[in-house]
Amino acid sequence: MSHSDDALLSVQGLEVTFKKGRHGVQAVSGVSFDVFEGETLGLVGESGCGKTTTGRSIMQLVTPTGGRVVFDGQELTGLRRKDLRRARTGMQMVFQDPISSLNPRRKVFDIVAEPLDIWGTQTGAQRTSTVRTMLDAVGLDPDAVSDRYARECSGGQCQRVSIARSLVMRPKLLICDEIVSALDVSVQAQILNLLEDLKAQYNLTVVFIAHDLAVVKNVSDRVAVMYLGRLCEVAPADDLYSSPAHPYTADLLSAALDASPISTRERIVLTGEPPSAIDPPSGCRFRTRCPSAQRACAEGAPALIEIAPRHSVACHFPLTRSGEGTRSST
Amino acid sequence: MTQGGIEVDLDVERFPVAGFGAAPLLVVDDLHTTFTTPRGPLRAVDGVSFSLGHNETLGIVGESGSGKTVLSRSIMSLLPRADVEQTGSVVFDGREMVGAPAKELRALWGAKIAMVFQDPMAALNPVVRIGRQITESLRLHLDLDRREATAQALSLLGQVGIASPEIRIRSYPHQLSGGMRQRVMIAIALACSPRLLLADEPTTGLDVTVQAQILDLLVEMQAERNMAVILVTHDLGVVATRADRIAVMYAGRIVEIAATERIFGDTAMPYTRALLESTPRISNASHTRLAAIDGRPPDLSVPITGCAFSERCPSATERCGIEAPPLTSARDDPTHLFACWNPLPGALRVRSASKGASS
Repeated sequence: MSHSDDALLSVQGLEVTFKKGRHGVQAVSGVSFDVFEGETLGLVGESGCGKTTTGRSIMQLVTPTGGRVVFDGQELTGLRRKDLRRARTGMQMVFQDPISSLNPRRKVFDIVAEPLDIWGTQTGAQRTSTVRTMLDAVGLDPDAVSDRYARECSGGQCQRVSIARSLVMRPKLLICDEIVSALDVSVQAQILNLLEDLKAQYNLTVVFIAHDLAVVKNVSDRVAVMYLGRLCEVAPADDLYSSPAHPYTADLLSAALDASPISTRERIVLTGEPPSAIDPPSGCRFRTRCPSAQRACAEGAPALIEIAPRHSVACHFPLTRSGEGTRSST
Repeated sequence: MTQGGIEVDLDVERFPVAGFGAAPLLVVDDLHTTFTTPRGPLRAVDGVSFSLGHNETLGIVGESGSGKTVLSRSIMSLLPRADVEQTGSVVFDGREMVGAPAKELRALWGAKIAMVFQDPMAALNPVVRIGRQITESLRLHLDLDRREATAQALSLLGQVGIASPEIRIRSYPHQLSGGMRQRVMIAIALACSPRLLLADEPTTGLDVTVQAQILDLLVEMQAERNMAVILVTHDLGVVATRADRIAVMYAGRIVEIAATERIFGDTAMPYTRALLESTPRISNASHTRLAAIDGRPPDLSVPITGCAFSERCPSATERCGIEAPPLTSARDDPTHLFACWNPLPGALRVRSASKGASS
């Protein structure tokens, strides 16, 4: 995928290797994608595929071992600590476990005000009014919750507080890492709707990381599928779900459970589990579980190439509706 | 078609489970489980009645705190006796479980009723090889000797889809992946060929591809062994294609119970409908607005007057806040029960059947 100048966030050849004994765990190996302004990019995959590490290394919470992360025209890899802190005010992260991401002994108001206090951008009445506006925007009553301790809030309320805290500096980019997976269905729907509203209201660009395919489809404009540290397929949400080109995407979709008693989809159930990232398979990493794997798959890793407008896939033998095979040129 | 409500007190004797033989395997009647807490009694299960046929799969669906897990443990009489008050009756295969002596219960656990828990790492003993964890119940209940039990364990591991069982039988739980551990849990549960298998969130925490494998395995094992299954989950997707009937729980009560197709197609209780419509679906286009229900479930340590869902219910009337609705059967289907004063008319059914006729 080529780097476009109008992308708010551009991730190029991102690599993250964790040291583990003598071996390295290749959590992310060569991931490239762009996120455009005002867009929601969904990042989906099974546990261990590197989606969370990708999100964290965009924020530079994990130092990438290779590649570049360009946010708003500024390269973040290799920035000095002071400059990085400044750059990070434009990008914020919301984490999976809403309860453990807040200090239980602090009051909701102080939690949301903290970023303002750190930067000293707003004080006094202005600070109070900003925090109250933010609490109101995430659907909490400022009078009722301001003096409440985080430990007194339910999971859904904590997630709303986390979102308020992340938005108080008016970031351009929001990275959401499994923000609804710990919530009940009815609360999950509230938070997903809230995210859509806030995105429009504050003109946010969102990277939405999750394992739940239905949730990702609901919020995303484009979806990127990851497997064992690499991107398999990137496409507009509706395209990806209606005509997956990568065998892994197709298998993932067929395994997903839809809340409907009438199953119209053909079931292809994958056997086995993903191989270890310590010693990933050669060539295409999915080949050990792929129903259409051939010799070429073991020899060379397929590059992510565009097979249709905005639809890219990394596969030597992508699935096509018309049946014509598309071969990777590399 | 309007689903009116004729008031019928739930009497399980009058509602044999259609199509699953006349005598049910399990009859739960007005079961209450109350915990004593510093804040007063907490009614986790508040008057639940249902029956389960031999070879039937019942899905119990509810959000966290709805009492679904406590219900499944109450059925097995697994809860500690201290600080827990249990009334009502659970008759399993003709035997009363509530208040039964511990010795009698121990003879049933693992032999006739088995359970698969949510977190296999917590349910398995981390310092005992899985082989011994499987043979334990075989030797205790079936009185097999060590060699017979080991042979049986190897065959079970093979049946639940574990490759090279003769190597895996000597593994410790930490050496297995999450999916494999859950397969081992299922092997342990199936060891003595139980009549009833309770699976409490058996696939929560597993990846989608592994989740599908485990659920298929459960269905396959049930068909082979002719046992009844209670599948407890928060995820409607888990039970949608796998349960014969679904019971929806809210605030410790069953608010609707019916055959799976009816729950989805002829939803009567507004809470069930809310649950269905707030679940994101792959079949919907992206950016489909979810019908979220405001608020959250009530605090069970505070006594509830009227219908527990009334405060969040779009069709609530004055009566709902005063008088609790009883479980009532639908006019056209005596096995479809719901607890609601203002049931949804059939015309507003969930649009899941848009693909036309299907099996």
